[in-house]
Amino acid sequence: MKKYIYILLFLSVCWAPACKKLDIAPMNIIQDKDVFTTEGGIQSYMARIYSELPIEDFRYSSTMGFNHFWLVNPFSATSGEALSRDQNGDTQETFGYWDDAYHLIREANYFMETLPSFKGSYTTAQINSWLGEARFIRAATYFALAKRYGGVPIVDKVLQYPEQSIAELQIPRSSEEKVYDFIAADLDYAYANIGETNQVGRANRYVAAAFKSRAMLFAGSIAKYNQITLFDGSNNRLCGIPSGRAADYFKASYDAAVLLNGKYSLYRKTWAPGDKEAQFQNYVNLFFDASSSENIFVKEYQYPNSVHGYDAYNVPRQLMGANGYSAEINPTLNFVELFDGFPKNADGTIKTLGADGKYLLYTNTMDLFANVEPRLRATVILPGDVFKNQNIEIRRGIFTGGVSGGISPLLPPGSTSIYPTANIVSSSTGASQVPYTLPDGTTMNPAGLSGVFTADGTGAVSGFAIRKYLVPDKPTSDVLENHSDQTWIEMRYAEVLLNRAEAAFELTTLGQGTGSYLSDASTIIDQLRDRAGADPLALTGGLTDVNVIRRERRKELGFENKTWWDLRRWRIIDKEQNSTIYRTLMPFYAAGAGKYFFDARLDERNSRYTFDTRWYYEQIPQADIAKSQNLIQNPGY
Amino acid sequence: MKQLFYYIFLSILLCTAYSCKKDNYDAPNATLNGAVTDAATGQTVQTEIGSGGTRIKLLEISWSATPTPYYIFSMQDGTYNNTKIFASTNKITAEGAFVPMVQTDAAGNTTIDQTQTVTIKGKGTATVNFSVEPFLRIDWIGTPVYNADGTITAQFKITRGTANPAFQLNISDVFLFVSSTRYLGNNDYDNRYSNHVTYDGASGNNIIGQTLTYTTTGGALPTKRDWFLRIGARVAYGLNYYNYTDVKTVTVP
Repeated sequence: MKKYIYILLFLSVCWAPACKKLDIAPMNIIQDKDVFTTEGGIQSYMARIYSELPIEDFRYSSTMGFNHFWLVNPFSATSGEALSRDQNGDTQETFGYWDDAYHLIREANYFMETLPSFKGSYTTAQINSWLGEARFIRAATYFALAKRYGGVPIVDKVLQYPEQSIAELQIPRSSEEKVYDFIAADLDYAYANIGETNQVGRANRYVAAAFKSRAMLFAGSIAKYNQITLFDGSNNRLCGIPSGRAADYFKASYDAAVLLNGKYSLYRKTWAPGDKEAQFQNYVNLFFDASSSENIFVKEYQYPNSVHGYDAYNVPRQLMGANGYSAEINPTLNFVELFDGFPKNADGTIKTLGADGKYLLYTNTMDLFANVEPRLRATVILPGDVFKNQNIEIRRGIFTGGVSGGISPLLPPGSTSIYPTANIVSSSTGASQVPYTLPDGTTMNPAGLSGVFTADGTGAVSGFAIRKYLVPDKPTSDVLENHSDQTWIEMRYAEVLLNRAEAAFELTTLGQGTGSYLSDASTIIDQLRDRAGADPLALTGGLTDVNVIRRERRKELGFENKTWWDLRRWRIIDKEQNSTIYRTLMPFYAAGAGKYFFDARLDERNSRYTFDTRWYYEQIPQADIAKSQNLIQNPGY
Repeated sequence: MKQLFYYIFLSILLCTAYSCKKDNYDAPNATLNGAVTDAATGQTVQTEIGSGGTRIKLLEISWSATPTPYYIFSMQDGTYNNTKIFASTNKITAEGAFVPMVQTDAAGNTTIDQTQTVTIKGKGTATVNFSVEPFLRIDWIGTPVYNADGTITAQFKITRGTANPAFQLNISDVFLFVSSTRYLGNNDYDNRYSNHVTYDGASGNNIIGQTLTYTTTGGALPTKRDWFLRIGARVAYGLNYYNYTDVKTVTVP
């Protein structure tokens, strides 16, 4: 008997080691418990989803998409702000932002569903703040989808496959109105739950409010101005929002913008009243001061880990770096003419001719712009202005004809022809300049050091160069691709103020408020103008028209990749770009007079811009429609 | 040993023969053609080729109630012809510069539906015509004239193609298109010589019914070739399609 007990004991001892549980999670894959139980883990999860946020920054273009390193076709050359040798017309986005958006939405949803099961490790405030951030990410992504496609499928939980059937996962598009309401709800939650402050580059509660003011303004504009309609079979309006909702959305935009009151302010660190040079320098610094009180939401870069090439691609030709890129962004005369402070004709165009119909002559090219608004100088490098301690020399050619009795226009007004070759010497490239001997015996290159060149387009093809966001003290040896790391300011207080002013004005036109909105809008526009060094509304005819606010917005936010979307939501870009050629300003040196004159003309390259009305709602990628028959394509595709 | 090879050979043969089942579908062999015509004049509605012009929308309901649409682009004279259509049952409409064939009210309810349901048989030909009201009707007055200064002048008249006030919208663009090829329109024209006039708001509406005279821009046209001319005009509605005249040829000596 005892023997059996020994055997049993022996057997049980033998088996016990084999009782080890073999059903364990793979050791080489990081598990939820590794990520969600430490603050470091949460931070790395956040770093990943923030890095995927659809931000149209230094690394975005409409053909390359987000986070692309090589950007020689700048976004501002689709909106009419700039001309570029590599972008000769408007284009719609061609990269199909859809799959990446839903990946990011899934990651946000996954975070929201998983974090609560690890709540023991953190305080309630931490949990709420992080959940709010995930909602913010989701809302920002949905806004990126809605502004492109209108109504899109709303996915507010993690979809499971294969647990859920394919039919269940083929979620149809919601109405555009519902998507904006969903965005508003997420951002309201984010505002209520995220803390007052956060790491740089992450959302605090005011970032959520600022994004809400942006998204709701977009929705209100669609409700008011959109003319395109698309319904699905169940009366959901996939494209367009009923006009009756316009006031709701403008009100939501206004109220969200007001939440930031007193929390942020316009950057005025080195601003001084009446001192145009100080105002200019202040506006330049605004884009580089990490402690700016105007920065709400930024995307940081850091060499060599996270970089872009904005300086290399856009520096004026004479400061070109070793990669051989330069001057991709060349502001149009149309953009420059939005500003004041230089001689203008009655129709608002720049005045280059005297009363006798002959060109006005200037000793230096900057004389024309002597009293220009400081904000323009800080945004655009005008011909002859100083950048990195050099005069940026922009000259189309030398006029060698007679000057007695004045110089008549080289071309009839509105001409798209190239300049005549008689009496004009020019250069085809920067490297092949043949110096021209002036009457006094000195020599001068036909074109300036920064253009304009007739063949290779590496110079200032519009007669202007870009200054905004170009680092003013970056040595030329460092002006290389993937060497720039200045911060992108995605949301600054100036935009929130402009959102508030525009929403207020639109509310006034919709019969809301009793003039209080209008006076608030006027005050805001004057604040922005004061900081910019521009004339106040009282001197320029007052706030009579929504175009006053829109123009202020285009000036303030120029080259920040916002204008194309603004023109879209106002539904005016198809009018503005209707076989349109943008204007340029060509400085010439008159050899006989020893002075400069300017010729304002249509782009000599004859680049035509046409915005196809269909692009107000982008094409949903065909591959995604093939995956889900429930996705209805937008009109016209 | 030899026997074994026979067995192997036989089994390979069997395996191969097994996959010889013919499982190909017939290639699409039906034809669908027709024209989009102006209900009042009986003439085809001129358009441009490509995505900015008239297209025929087919919803194949043979196998699904919510199919992905299939489109046939119209030719520039307003006719269309596709000889590679599968035998199928389709709901067919046309989209272009005319009063929409399917209209919805503000709540999304369908108020007008001129969809035609057509069964196309294999190897057969189905002709589906659409009678529509174009937004604008543009008619030449006389023939374009080659001027002594090397330009061409054309006269024409624009009238409303519909009596429905909801679609008598503001005229936004009038365009004299000039091209050295006959396939011209808003998507293909010579921008040096074409004459484009735009209107804001209701300012363009007083040209309705007037005799309009447009001359090519940009100086004398290059000589010793044929130039093709066409008038386009559009109203601000939906995707802003152009209405067109037919194409006139001017031989420049």
